[in-house]
Amino acid sequence: MCGIVGYTGNRQALGLLIEGLKRLEYRGYDSAGVVVLGEGLNLQKAKGMISELEKRLQPAEGTTGLAHTRWATHGRPSDENAHPFLDCTGRMAMVHNGIVENFQDLRERLVAKGHRFASDTDTETIVHLIESHYRGDLVAAVRKACKELVGTYAIAVLHADHPGTLVAARFENPLVVGVSAEGEALLASDVTPLLPYTNDFTFLEDGDVVELKGGAFRITDLAGRRVERPTHHVDWSVEDAQKGGFEHFMLKEIFEQPHAILQSMMGRISDEALEAIAPKNVDKVKIVACGTSYHASLIGKYALEAIAGLDTTVEMSSEYRYSNLARESALVIAVTQSGETIDTISALREAKRRGTRTVAISNVVGSTITREAHDTFYTRAGPEIGVAATKTFTTQLVALYLLAFALGRRQGSLGAEELRRLREELRKLPAKVQQVLNSHEAIKAAAARLKDVRDVYFIGRNINYPAALEGALKLKEISYIHAEGYPAGELKHGPIALLDAHTPVVAIVVDDAVRSKMISNIGEVSARDAPVYAVGYEDDLELAKVVDVLLPIPRTDPLFSPVVAVVALQLLAYYVALMRGCSIDKPRNLAKSVTVE
Amino acid sequence: MKAVVLAAGEGTRLRPLTVSRPKVMLRVGDKPIMQYAIDALREVGVRDIIIVVGYQKERIQTFFEDGERFGVNISYVVQRKQLGTGHALLCAREHLDSDFLVVPGDNILDGAMIAQLLDHRSEVTVLATESAQPRKYGVLELDGDRVVRIIEKPPRRISNLISTGIYYFERRFLELLEREVGAGRFELSLAVQTAIDEGFKVRGQLTKGLWLDVVFPWDLLSLNARVLTDGPSRQAGTVESGVTLVGPVSIGEGSVLRSGTYIKGPVSIGAGCEIGPNVVVYPTTSIGDNVTISPFSEVRNSLVMDNVSIGGHSYVSHSIIDEGTTIQSHFVTAAEPKLLLIENELIQIDKIGTIVGESTEIGHRVVVDAGRTIGAYCRVEAGVRIIKDVPDSARVV
Repeated sequence: MCGIVGYTGNRQALGLLIEGLKRLEYRGYDSAGVVVLGEGLNLQKAKGMISELEKRLQPAEGTTGLAHTRWATHGRPSDENAHPFLDCTGRMAMVHNGIVENFQDLRERLVAKGHRFASDTDTETIVHLIESHYRGDLVAAVRKACKELVGTYAIAVLHADHPGTLVAARFENPLVVGVSAEGEALLASDVTPLLPYTNDFTFLEDGDVVELKGGAFRITDLAGRRVERPTHHVDWSVEDAQKGGFEHFMLKEIFEQPHAILQSMMGRISDEALEAIAPKNVDKVKIVACGTSYHASLIGKYALEAIAGLDTTVEMSSEYRYSNLARESALVIAVTQSGETIDTISALREAKRRGTRTVAISNVVGSTITREAHDTFYTRAGPEIGVAATKTFTTQLVALYLLAFALGRRQGSLGAEELRRLREELRKLPAKVQQVLNSHEAIKAAAARLKDVRDVYFIGRNINYPAALEGALKLKEISYIHAEGYPAGELKHGPIALLDAHTPVVAIVVDDAVRSKMISNIGEVSARDAPVYAVGYEDDLELAKVVDVLLPIPRTDPLFSPVVAVVALQLLAYYVALMRGCSIDKPRNLAKSVTVE
Repeated sequence: MKAVVLAAGEGTRLRPLTVSRPKVMLRVGDKPIMQYAIDALREVGVRDIIIVVGYQKERIQTFFEDGERFGVNISYVVQRKQLGTGHALLCAREHLDSDFLVVPGDNILDGAMIAQLLDHRSEVTVLATESAQPRKYGVLELDGDRVVRIIEKPPRRISNLISTGIYYFERRFLELLEREVGAGRFELSLAVQTAIDEGFKVRGQLTKGLWLDVVFPWDLLSLNARVLTDGPSRQAGTVESGVTLVGPVSIGEGSVLRSGTYIKGPVSIGAGCEIGPNVVVYPTTSIGDNVTISPFSEVRNSLVMDNVSIGGHSYVSHSIIDEGTTIQSHFVTAAEPKLLLIENELIQIDKIGTIVGESTEIGHRVVVDAGRTIGAYCRVEAGVRIIKDVPDSARVV
């Protein structure tokens, strides 16, 4: 989604802003722009990559500025529609992330008043709205404008009358501020651009307006009252967000998984620790999530049912609010990597409105959802820059397994000895995932055979059905090959009609109760001449005989097999995309954290 | 000044410990071997480091990343085929715009040595050390501090001075190196000999600093004992009441030491471990992350890598258990003195247990005779006595 960076301090802002934007690049965007406040306003923007903007960049003096990457919602990607926008006087500039729902009304009113618009974006209405309220006090003008806006926003403005000052406001779109030891004040859409300056951040909340100047910031609410927001210490370093010799962030993040999984379970796996995280009085569980997190949640459903014996349903966050229930489940778990996914935040709010207990599973300390949920379980995966989620997915699974352990013990449905066995298996996951990574050459060879196909179907049963969905999602999002995940049993209710010698099927087969059914499904597929790729145990000779290619994974308890299976499928997707020459870390049209509905 | 760290090789003599990671990533003490070189360079202010990677490079890159965590800037270059050290250095040529250092990633060394090298720069300077087994290394013949000859692994004894592989070079050496490598002479020592022949001033500087080499897996145990003598580096985790800690014991975050456990340092325990109740750990033992040791087990003078689980009532002595290996209860390493035949050379080892490769599964009541190795990815059924070496991926019934 769109990204905002703002700087005010004692150094030349232009280069710092561009550096900051690059750290937000991973969020996905289609145009970029920057404004620097010096003698006057110097505005530069361009469609395309930040490097496009950089190529055309003219020097600009000034130690205060704003920069923006835009992911088009209203108005197509173009130079004109890129942010920042200026008001009619050309003395005020603004950037925005979000959607203004009443922009048509506002725009008509402002045009009637004589304001001139240069673009067809919803954003431009905001800058003119602020202009219409401006009487010399920038903070007051922003506050008045915010009161009239319907929709979601994070905005930041600067004005030639106020050198060294930035004013920003937030409603349902993330905005974080921080100050450096050298007396610089910064704001951004997430912490990554601020990491070179500080590790202490303040996250704005809805309705907050902040003024940054003189190396400090001051937050007020929409009524103009001073508010204090806590400071969060984020233990990430600049280097955490760099590639460390890997060709792509995605590959780096795939290879970081043994460590990330270990981090996510560290200190949480003992009886005492599980006792501490177990929610009380739970009869049913509901999980809400989007995208990859939704797939993790589906696996969590099988785990919660098998381990804790709890009825569990999973809903897509964007659909959750439309459900009508007499009584909500006692526990709603909201899963979002960034903690800023607007659909999941809305679902969590709806769950709270329905009076139920909520737990967030998130990777970002202090993110919006963690402040709103009753409890938070951090996945501790470290920053994930690749748009395709990898390590955050596997660590979400660890979080869900641990919650299942905790709930199972609380419910009395998980015996101490069974817990001991499962815990030992879970502890082995880092080593097992490492084994999958060690066999990356074999997976690369499989990718070479898959790279030119048009469609691929992924099938699995039971807990590996969502793993098939995730495998398909990984492939389609980075390689642009059409891929669909299906429960293996559903194949003959439709998709089998599409199979032929040019449509491979990837099957996930482990040593569980549904193994023989999977082998039969593979038979059905082979009978239609479709090439079969299987993710299965390396020593499964019977399986190796009935498939064309075996992607080997080590043995583990079937409950945990999705973790190792998905790592193999991540590598498969990565290598296919690599061989097809795709833009792996920034696939077209996709955004890392979806902060608009 | 920039430094090139050579880390592309596998270290095949260390198998099975290198099946999935290069030698430089083997842990000695509480860190991988290569981190000793990185720390030494940082200590003397060398911050720009180019690491030449090859075999299993991802293991190096995910650990060292861009170097920020270690206070240095790291770039990587890939040596696609491990032809030799001279060729490896040449791979880093694009990054070298002035004089530079070359440091092997697979030796343990300290900052004082690098400082000594920087103080005695010539057109080429090589750090020399004395060795009891010079014929395994590049042997140096010196005239005062001038190197007259460098001979790789001479069959006859010439001198006991060997090259540590730590060099200072003026940049123009690279042109010579390019010619040498172009002529198929891939070893760095060959190019240094050519430099001598062509009249370069090549200086040999004897160092008294700490320089240790790992040739065979068993060397890891003595090296571990050498480096693990420093005081505890961290004291995190939970120590239940009734645990006795004697001497330097380092405990990582999130680790739990259960009641009745007795640990005598020097011992290093990683993060996220669960040890005890009633486990005994004696010097000099190094335990990785996410390790479980169940009740009534004893571990002494051993290296236990990450993600290992050791069952109850086990006895692990003078042994190396590689990562991800699972051992059920009543496992015994019958450690005793042993005469080993390694590469046609008889080596007497005072006391020797076993080496178990990574991700191997060992059943209940398995006994391993002294000096026997179990490979990686094996499955050993319950009740077996191992009397000879077990190759990788074997199933023992």
